[in-house]
Amino acid sequence: MRLIVDGQPIEFDAGDSALIAMLRAGIHPTGGGCLCLGGDCPHCLATVDGVSYTRTCETPARPGMIVERHPREGYPPLPLNNPAAAEEVKARNVHCDVAVIGAGDSGKAAAEEAERSGKRVITLDAKRGQEVVGVYPGPLVVARTPDGMLHVHPREEIIIATGAAEIQPVAPGNDLAGIVTARAASQLAAVGVPLGRVVAVGARPENAEATVADGQLIRFEGNGKVEAVIVRGADGNEKRIECDTVSVGLGLSPRDVLLRMGSGLAIRAVGNAAREPELPACPTSGVVCSCSGVTADDLQRVWDSGFRELELVKRATLAGTGPCQGSVCVPHIRSFLKERGGELQAPFTARPANRQPTLGEVAAGAHHRATPRTALDAEHRRLGARMDRIGGWWRPWNYGDTRAEYWAVREAVSIGDVSTLGKMIVSGPDALELLERLYPTQVSTIAPGRSRYVLLLDERGYVLDDGLICCDGASRYGLTFTSGGSSFAEMWVRDWAETWNLDVRILNQTMSLGAINVTGPLSKELLARAGFTRPMRHMEHTMATVAGVECRIFRLSFTGELSFELHHPAEQSAELWRSLMALGTDLGIKPHGIQTLLQLRLEKGHVIVGQDTDFDSTPRRIDMEWAVRLDKADFVGRQAVLRTNKAPLDKQLVGLEMDAPAPVEGAVIWRGSEYAGYVTSSAQSHALGKAVMLGWVKLFDGVLPTELTIDGRAARRVSLPFYDKEGRRARA
Amino acid sequence: MNEFQEKKIKFAWPEPKRSYDVVIVGGGGHGLATAYYLAARHGITNVAVLERKYIGAGNSGRNTTIIRANYGIPEAVRFYQRSLELYKHLEAETDRWIMHKQKGLLNVAHTESALRTERARAEVNTAFGAKTEFVAPKEIKEICPQIDLTGGNVWPVLGGSYHPEAATARHDRAVWAFAEGAMKRGVHVHQRIEVRGLTMSGGRVTGVETSAGPIAAKAVVGAVGGHVTTLASMAGVRLPIRTHPLQAYVTNHYDLQFDVIASSPGLLFYMSQTARGEMLVGAEIDRQPSYSYGSTYHFLQHCSHRAITLFPFMRSLRILRQWTGVCDMSPDYSPIMGKTGVDGFLVTTGWGTWGFKAIPAGGEQMAQLIASGETPELIAPFGLDRFASDRMMADRGSAGTH
Repeated sequence: MRLIVDGQPIEFDAGDSALIAMLRAGIHPTGGGCLCLGGDCPHCLATVDGVSYTRTCETPARPGMIVERHPREGYPPLPLNNPAAAEEVKARNVHCDVAVIGAGDSGKAAAEEAERSGKRVITLDAKRGQEVVGVYPGPLVVARTPDGMLHVHPREEIIIATGAAEIQPVAPGNDLAGIVTARAASQLAAVGVPLGRVVAVGARPENAEATVADGQLIRFEGNGKVEAVIVRGADGNEKRIECDTVSVGLGLSPRDVLLRMGSGLAIRAVGNAAREPELPACPTSGVVCSCSGVTADDLQRVWDSGFRELELVKRATLAGTGPCQGSVCVPHIRSFLKERGGELQAPFTARPANRQPTLGEVAAGAHHRATPRTALDAEHRRLGARMDRIGGWWRPWNYGDTRAEYWAVREAVSIGDVSTLGKMIVSGPDALELLERLYPTQVSTIAPGRSRYVLLLDERGYVLDDGLICCDGASRYGLTFTSGGSSFAEMWVRDWAETWNLDVRILNQTMSLGAINVTGPLSKELLARAGFTRPMRHMEHTMATVAGVECRIFRLSFTGELSFELHHPAEQSAELWRSLMALGTDLGIKPHGIQTLLQLRLEKGHVIVGQDTDFDSTPRRIDMEWAVRLDKADFVGRQAVLRTNKAPLDKQLVGLEMDAPAPVEGAVIWRGSEYAGYVTSSAQSHALGKAVMLGWVKLFDGVLPTELTIDGRAARRVSLPFYDKEGRRARA
Repeated sequence: MNEFQEKKIKFAWPEPKRSYDVVIVGGGGHGLATAYYLAARHGITNVAVLERKYIGAGNSGRNTTIIRANYGIPEAVRFYQRSLELYKHLEAETDRWIMHKQKGLLNVAHTESALRTERARAEVNTAFGAKTEFVAPKEIKEICPQIDLTGGNVWPVLGGSYHPEAATARHDRAVWAFAEGAMKRGVHVHQRIEVRGLTMSGGRVTGVETSAGPIAAKAVVGAVGGHVTTLASMAGVRLPIRTHPLQAYVTNHYDLQFDVIASSPGLLFYMSQTARGEMLVGAEIDRQPSYSYGSTYHFLQHCSHRAITLFPFMRSLRILRQWTGVCDMSPDYSPIMGKTGVDGFLVTTGWGTWGFKAIPAGGEQMAQLIASGETPELIAPFGLDRFASDRMMADRGSAGTH
């Protein structure tokens, strides 16, 4: 069996890791550096099948596997050319009482003990390819496994049994090939990787033949590959021992990164992971951090410059910020700082992720939040609508010809999907009380069968939302909210009802009711054809059957034309929509999209909360004080409105007009050379033949300016509405 | 050896005195920049900066290092443009390398309403001195060839805005350049000294109680991140601040091939490539207020998912490190700078997700205020009194993520 390294096929044996295969072929994955074979060091990283920084010691060799060694200078390229290379990674959730990380002796013992006391235990073992990526609040243990990502939810405890890493040598020449840890030497000998003449510094490898070099490690010598190691014996003399491989046994450092990552959780370490770290000798020379190329001299330099905290030494040298995340260098840096400053500083914060998962792996199990669609979604698409996400819903932006849509509304009849409106029933003995306290209007004067346009204010007196209150009787009201504001509005209403302990029932009908706006001078005729002929006054509502569908009909107008809003069971939306379209064919019926609706309402000066309003829009600033009754009993926002009304008015939302073309929304408004405000809504009016706008304009010395400049052209502040100032068309 | 090691900065750590003209609480970017400009521009050097941990330990060392001025209201555009200009010249001024690099920032829009926001951004930016232009998908692809304009067939890119002067700099190095520059002029910076109280006399603040004893001051500046409301309450000042965690992560290091800062306000994520080649990815604040520096998997999972949606090549990059900072959010998404109504006590706070980019201008303006006693025109709109007088600086342009 063969895999490919830098374009060259190499043989491997069954059971080999990619690293072992390379070592058999005499290839060091990174050219040099002490190999640990335990996943702790950065010296076996390579690009495997397009994924860089893969630990080849933990990657089983596969026939045809493509291994590319990272460049010795610089970094591997971004994988820009294989965007869809990886398959979708699966994620699985599992629950248990105790999660044990590590299946060595101490891990096994901990798992058995927990099982004996009846606990459900899940053990994750890196040797089986289950690598823990992170320990998170939840608690949640995330592991990468050969079958995808495993999200483990341990109810009681996390036990860290990850063992210990071997301390790496810091001495000149430690970046040569041919240096391995004592445990690595044993493993390589066991699988028959030829090591040549082995010299052991420190603890001996268990089952490898080695010459023991007694004394302190001074340096490695060689050219690319180690040829000799120099140690200083007890007699103070340096001794040079020629070799092909150096085995280094300098002690153990607990693999406690997951333990530290989980601080604050029910987590503990057992076995070697819980041991006290052995501090290596203070480094004097050689590479300390091979990920970032930091030497002992670099440590000395930043120390001399006043970087004394471990964190600052890290940030100044970048030691510990590479793929091994300080596993190699931190013991040496702590030793250095203890030697210089006298104090043993705690290792730096353990931050996820451990052992570098890919974005594809961590994204497993995540989905885009679905954007809801109305019951008429298929109708819109069938009619060729361009759909857009608006106010949190998929809505028809236009049907291809906005001018035709516009004139259908103004001169004939049109239907629009307004199912996304927030719709709510509030009933019960305290319904009126709740609404009186929530809304700035005198709700008690809305007669049954009537409805009223209302603002909703927050405690600071700023406009939260707008909509209708429709009275069905003293103990039952229908409310509407904007499409984008309805979910917040529901929380708002429920929260206050609970705060005031009022006896009300609240039913959110936003999803269950569809709503179709029938608008245009011929809308009455269309409804008559659909079987509804009862006369209705403006702002009245009633129950009736339209084209066989039971509807609550509101007479109101957002477009400025005679309009009827038909609220009906959402499951009958498509049927009702199709009937209306069929009945109106010879009336010139066309559906209108949101783009047209925005222009129609702008010509009427109707404000869209969120588009025309800002975080600080008081009723006075949007010129809607008429919607607020300060003489009624207290309501949410009343105190704030009373307070802010005492300050002089500083800016106001006003109507503006100018010659074509219409400026973009957001255009800056000037008064001479002074900033006056900005445009919030803008359109070229088909009916009026000029640009009409809403915008914020500052007062100058207490006066709203009239003559303004937008886009370097003259604009005028005018009274609203722009279209049908007497409102005859809507009331026809 | 890596070329990004700090080689020039030298710190001096004198013993604390019992009294200073100015005590600045918080050794982050804003505190140190204030000290620097006091010394460098106004010759006021009897100044101490007190830091509970080590300098830059808080959000100055945890942010995503973006410098931009493409905000949503004139007052903010002017202020951040000033900061952007100061950053441009900071290396020359301090003779220190902060890895400043102009990259340009691309905001992409996936909806008509987002297009409208980006158009408006370009308008107000252009009017007040920041360079921002509205761009079509074709131009977006030219600026950022790695983007998938179909958004994984879920979030198509309809357009956006491009802010060519946006830059990044190494956060630690900016902090150090200000710290060293202040130290060289005689300012004392004290690490591991915790402020535990404010001393008051006759209704004014006269000093601080610290873990190293009392220190008197003619003026105390609150420049802390996180527990700023606690500090201010010691002077009887209520701040409208809520603190939320903000998380980010970097991948391993890759060859420099991604030149721009790319952001999707709709998907609530953004990314850039650091000078060292890490892809740096950030998102919006966590909704739940908290002082916690703890990281969550939910963030890592969902932010990665969004990144892959627009940048499919990111799928096979490995994640190196995830971390968390905290953001002091004001009600109008604008900072709070200046006088507090209590003599001898000033604040610079409300730095939300926009603190790093504001460090030079924030420090410069606060220093001018301290030196002159008068609030400079550039920061006058951002006074604490605006909330009581209903003069909010509502800025949708900053309500994003970075």
